[in-house]
Amino acid sequence: MMEPLEMIKDSLNKQIYIKLRNDRELTGKLNAFDQHLNMILENAEETHTSVELDEETYEQVYKQNKRSMPMVFIRGDGVILLSSHTDH
Amino acid sequence: MLFFSYFKDLVGREVTVELKNDLALSGTLHSVDQYLNIKLENTRVVDQDKYPHMLSVRNCFIRGSVVRYVQLPPEGVDVELLHDATRREARGG
Amino acid sequence: MSGTGEKVSATTKTPADFLKSIRGRPVVVKLNSGVDYRGILACLDGYMNIAMEQTEEYVNGQLKNKYGDAFIRGNNVLYISTTKRTLGEGA
Repeated sequence: MMEPLEMIKDSLNKQIYIKLRNDRELTGKLNAFDQHLNMILENAEETHTSVELDEETYEQVYKQNKRSMPMVFIRGDGVILLSSHTDH
Repeated sequence: MLFFSYFKDLVGREVTVELKNDLALSGTLHSVDQYLNIKLENTRVVDQDKYPHMLSVRNCFIRGSVVRYVQLPPEGVDVELLHDATRREARGG
Repeated sequence: MSGTGEKVSATTKTPADFLKSIRGRPVVVKLNSGVDYRGILACLDGYMNIAMEQTEEYVNGQLKNKYGDAFIRGNNVLYISTTKRTLGEGA
């Protein structure tokens, strides 16, 4: 437990949760990563949260768009946070 | 170097590169470099109605830093190899 | 020499000393985006990559999420601060 990057190795081949910039979140099985937090996820699901302004009521409506990606490379510079827990 | 090696092994395969500006390009992976800059051939824009200005583009160079995701062919991956390579990868410091 | 009014603490630290001394302590990590993370600092590295346990995420002062363990990419970090607060007391 000496280094944060070493700790991520414990999550290899396991389900992880990633918070990305632009209100995106990913879950999936971690197959690879490097020191830049570039990663490859298997059976990933992306949740993209956006706000729409209702033209009539002017209220803010939060929408969540989900999509699945069987195998995806994620560039590390978009990553904010990683967790091994997917329950939240 | 891990992902540089990985992408080199994928040259010739079909990938979809999603950029940070939401543009998504499908094509054949022609080449990659250490910065993970990508050259695609037979480029097709995923949402052609939204991005008609790209219709005539056949080959392109994509700067690595503008990439958000690269969708990969699932059967092109040796997952065990990736796990082992990651475990051997040098630490950040 | 007459004092300049400056106090020199007996435990004058470099930033690196500070980072070494706070492992295992409750901390608050503020990101450039303004989001707060409060939890127990497990470890960190020279890039300010952070590993934390029992982490709570606060957005605009409101608790939004909890993570059993969390890794934060260092480029997002504005500051790391020790806190005397125990978890659950809110922002």
